[in-house]
Amino acid sequence: MKNWFEEKINAGVLITVVILVGIGLLSIYSATYDTGASDYFNRQLVWAGFGFLFMIIITFIPFRTLQLLSYPIYILSIILLFLVLLIGKSVAGSKSWFGFGNVGIQPSEFAKVAVILALAYFLSDKKVNLRRMKYILLSFTFVLLPVVLIIRQPDTGTALIFIASLISILYWAGVSNTLMLGIIAPTLAAVSALFGITYFLIVVLLLLIVLFLQRENKLISAIIFSITVLIGISVQYVYGKLAPYQQKRIDIFINPESDPLNAGYNVIQSKIAIGSGGIIGKGFLQGTQTQLNFIPAQWTDFVFCVPAEEFGFIGAFFILLMYFYLLYRAIHIASTAKSKYGSLVAFGVVSFFLVHIVINIGMVMGIMPVIGVPLPFLSYGGSFLFSSLIMAGLLLNIYANRKEY
Amino acid sequence: MFEYTSSRKKVILFFVSLIFLLFTVRLVQLQIIYREKYGRMSEENSIRKVVVTPLRGYMYDRNGNLIVDNRPAYTVTVVPAEFDTTKLKLLSDILAIDQQELMNKINREAKYNKFAPAKVKRDVDFKTLSFIEENHEELPGVDYIVESKRAYPPNIRGSHIFGYLREISDEQLAKAGDLYRRGDIIGATGIEAQYEKYLRGEKGYNLIIVDSKGKMIGSYNDGKDDKAPLEGDDLELTIDAKVQALAESLLSNFIGAVVAIDPRDGGIIALVSKPDFNLDLLSGVTPVELWKSLIEDKNKPLFNRATLTNYPPGSTFKMILAIAALQEKFIDQNYRINCTGAFRFGNKIFKDLHVHGSTNVIEAIQRSCNVFFYQMMLKVGLDKWSEYAGMFGFGKPTGIDIMEENAGLLPSETYYNRVYGEGKWTLGYTVSLGIGQGELGVSPIQLASYAMALANQGKLYKPHVVNKIKFKKSGEIKKLDVQYKQIELHPEVWKFVREGLYRAVNLPGGTGAAARVPGVNVAGKTGTAQNPHGKDHAWFIGFAPYEDPKIAICVLVENVGFGGVYAAPIAGLCIEQYLYGEIIRNKQPKITLTKTDLEHTND
Repeated sequence: MKNWFEEKINAGVLITVVILVGIGLLSIYSATYDTGASDYFNRQLVWAGFGFLFMIIITFIPFRTLQLLSYPIYILSIILLFLVLLIGKSVAGSKSWFGFGNVGIQPSEFAKVAVILALAYFLSDKKVNLRRMKYILLSFTFVLLPVVLIIRQPDTGTALIFIASLISILYWAGVSNTLMLGIIAPTLAAVSALFGITYFLIVVLLLLIVLFLQRENKLISAIIFSITVLIGISVQYVYGKLAPYQQKRIDIFINPESDPLNAGYNVIQSKIAIGSGGIIGKGFLQGTQTQLNFIPAQWTDFVFCVPAEEFGFIGAFFILLMYFYLLYRAIHIASTAKSKYGSLVAFGVVSFFLVHIVINIGMVMGIMPVIGVPLPFLSYGGSFLFSSLIMAGLLLNIYANRKEY
Repeated sequence: MFEYTSSRKKVILFFVSLIFLLFTVRLVQLQIIYREKYGRMSEENSIRKVVVTPLRGYMYDRNGNLIVDNRPAYTVTVVPAEFDTTKLKLLSDILAIDQQELMNKINREAKYNKFAPAKVKRDVDFKTLSFIEENHEELPGVDYIVESKRAYPPNIRGSHIFGYLREISDEQLAKAGDLYRRGDIIGATGIEAQYEKYLRGEKGYNLIIVDSKGKMIGSYNDGKDDKAPLEGDDLELTIDAKVQALAESLLSNFIGAVVAIDPRDGGIIALVSKPDFNLDLLSGVTPVELWKSLIEDKNKPLFNRATLTNYPPGSTFKMILAIAALQEKFIDQNYRINCTGAFRFGNKIFKDLHVHGSTNVIEAIQRSCNVFFYQMMLKVGLDKWSEYAGMFGFGKPTGIDIMEENAGLLPSETYYNRVYGEGKWTLGYTVSLGIGQGELGVSPIQLASYAMALANQGKLYKPHVVNKIKFKKSGEIKKLDVQYKQIELHPEVWKFVREGLYRAVNLPGGTGAAARVPGVNVAGKTGTAQNPHGKDHAWFIGFAPYEDPKIAICVLVENVGFGGVYAAPIAGLCIEQYLYGEIIRNKQPKITLTKTDLEHTND
C-alpha cells in the first residue's frame, strides 16, 4: 500500500498545496475579520473543499482520457467565454462573471486550464514541427482566441498572463533559441518603449549583445534586430497618437505612483504593511494595516501583505519557500514525464503559476507595475482557487502517469 | 524525455531561482532594513486619502443667466471608531435626529470602514454648527465638512426640468464601480440624472498623515501627490428663465402643464408641471416625512404632467385629420358640408354645440366644427388617420432629454382588433377619434412638438433642454446635435391648415381669441379632453408669430372645462413674454368663466 501511494501520489506537491490553501484561508479570515464580511472565509472554505475533491478526481483520470478530452474542454471554454460576454454579470465594470444566485463563476479562470491542455495536445503532435512558422502561429491562435474574448470583458491582467505563459510553454516545447529571441525581443521592446527611450535603448543594446554571443546567421540576426527596433519605434509613435486619457491609463500602468488615489495608494499602503511586519510580525489578527482596512479589498490581489504584516519576514519567506518548492517539484515532474503531452501539461501549469506569482508578489512588494492578478491558492476568489486546484490535480495526474508514453 | 530538456530545465530553474532570490532580497529590504521606517509609518497610521468632491456643473438659461447654482452646505460627520456612544443623546439633540436613526447611520458606515467618517446630517444650519464647534471636546469623532448644495433662483422651481439629487443607492453603487462612494450625491431625475456624467466632474483627493487616533497631523509629501478636483461641466439650457418663471406663476393655482418649444431647433423654452415641489428641500438627503408627503399627495407633485399625462387631445387633434384628408385628396379646400349641429351614424347621433351651416376645411378648423370632422373620419379611415398622427410623433416618446416620458396611445386597426377582437368593432367606434376624443392619449410634450411641426411646416425636431456643454477640462464648448424628422406635405396643405389656426385665434367665431397678443399674430387651437372622472381638461396649442414662428406652445389645465377660457390666455402671456422679453399689455385678461365665453366656445 505504501509503495502504491509513493508510486502514484506526489506527496511534495500535495502537502505544499494544502499548506498554501491553509495560509490563504487564514489570511482571508484576518483581512475580513471585523468588517462585517465574514462570509468571505466561509465561501472560500467551501470552494477549497470542492476544489480538493476535483483535484483528487483529476489525479486519477486515465492518461488517455485526459488527452482525448483536451480539445473538447478547450472548445467548451471558448463557448463559455462567448456566453459571458453576452449574458454575463458586470462586476465593477468588468463583464466576466456568470451569476447563479449568489455564486459567481469566472470562465476566464477555467480557460487557463483549457489552454494548457489544448496547447499540450497540439504541440505534442508528431506532425507539429516547431521550426516552421506556421505551427508557431497556430499555437498563438490557440491562445489569442480566448485572449481576445477576455480583453473584451475587459480584463487585461488575465490576457497578459496567457501571453506570458504561452511564450514560456513554447520554450519548453523546443522552439529554437533564435526564434525565442525573435518572439521575446520585440515584446520586450514594445513594453520598454512605453517606459521611455532609455529603457528601449537598453533592450536594444542587450539584444545586440545576445545576438553577438549567439553567433547566429547574419541575415536572421539582422531581421530580428530590425523587427525589434521597428516595433519599439512604432509603439512610441502610436502612443503619441493616443487620446490623453488613453495615454494616462498606460502611464498609470507603467508608473502606479503617478495615480496614488488608486493603484499607487494601494502599493504605498501595501509596502507599509509588509515593511512594518518586521522579522516576526505583529501577530495573527494584530496587523494594523490589515485590520484597519488601509488596503481596499485586501483579501483579493493584495492578500500577500496580510501574512507578511502579521507573521513578518518569517511568514513571508516561508510562503516564498513554499511556492519555490512547488515550482521546483512541478518542473521536475515536467522533465521526468515520458510523454511529451504530459511534460507539456506539467510545464503549462508551471508557467501559469509562475507568471501569477511573479506579477502578484512583485506588485505587492512594489517592484512590478500594478496589474490585477491574483495569487494562486492565497487570493480570495472561488473560480481562481478552483482552477488553481485543478492545475495542481493535473500536476499530480502527470506524476502518477509519468511512465506512460 | 526529449533531447533538449535537461539543458532547458537548467535555464528555467536558473530563472525561477533568480526570481525568488530577488523576492527574498526585496523582502529583506522591506522587512529588515527599512523595518523602522515602515513601522513608524504604520504606527502613525500614516496616510489617509480624503476624497474631495468637485462642485457640480452650473446650468445657464438660453440668455446666459445662471439658473442652477451651488452654495456651500455643512455636513456633520461621525467617525464610528472614535465616537463615544454615551454621547449619542447629546448629538441626537443637537442635530434633531432620532437616536435610533443616528445610530443606524453610524453603524451602516462602520460595517464598511469604521475609520471613515459617516455623513449623519447634511445641510445643517449655522447654529447647529457652532454648537458642535463649542462641544468639540465632548464629542470625539464628530466633525463637519463643507460640501456643496444646489441653489435655485427664487422665482423658478423647474422641479421637473432640473430634477433632484439624492444619495447614491447601494444598487447604483454596485453598478457604478469605483466612480462613486457611499454617501455620494447623484442626479436622480431630470437634467441632473440625464447629464450626470457631465455635471459630476472629477473627484480629487488629499493624502494626509494621521496619527493612531485618526487625528490629522499633516499632509503627505507636502501635498505634492494631492489631486485637485475638477468641477463638473456647465450646461447651457434652451430654457428662457423669464418665460419659465411666468409660466410657473400663471399655473400656480391649477393642476396642469405648459410646454413651450422653439420651432427653429426644438429647444424647450419652458416646461412646467403643476403642482410641483421645492427642489431646495430635495437636493441632498430628503427627510422621510417630506418624501412621504410628496408621494402621498393626491395631486402627485412628483409626477411630470408635461411628459407623462395621457389624455385625449380634444379638438387640438383636428388638424391631423384635416391634413390627412387634404394630402390624400379626399377633399380639397372648396369641399363643403352643411353642419346641422348633429351627425347621425347608424343609430347613433354625434352632437355639435353649434349649427355651423355651410363649412369648408379652413372654417371647420376656425370654428372647430365637429360635424365636419366626423364626416372626414369616415372618409379618411382609421389607418390613414393613424398614419398621419404617427408622422407627427403621436403614439411614441418624443425622445426629450429628460427622463420619463409616456408614449401615449394612438389606436390603429391592429389596436382595435386586439382590444375588441377582429370584426367585433365598427366604424362607429372610430368616429369620435376625428375630434380627438375616445381611445386616444397624448402628453403636453407631444402636443407641443406637433404645434412646432405645424409652425415650421413639418420639421419635427427632437425636443431638448440642453443646448451646449461647456467642458471644464478643455474649455471647449460643444453644441449638441439637433435631430429632426421632415414631414413632407403639399405646400398648399400647410397653408390651409395654418390659415385655419390663424383664424381660430384672430377672426370672429374662432375659439382661441383669448390667446391674442398685442402686435403679434398668434395662431392656435383650443381643445377639451373629456374626463370621465370629473370636469374636462382644457388644452391649447399654438405658435407665434404666424408669419415666422419663434415659439410653439401647449398648455394643459386640468378639471376646468373649456380650453379657450383657461389654457389660451396662459399661452398668450407666455408668447408675449418670450417675444417681447416682458409683458407689454397693461391689464392681464381675467381668467374666469363667463356666460358669453360659454356661448362662443365649442370644442
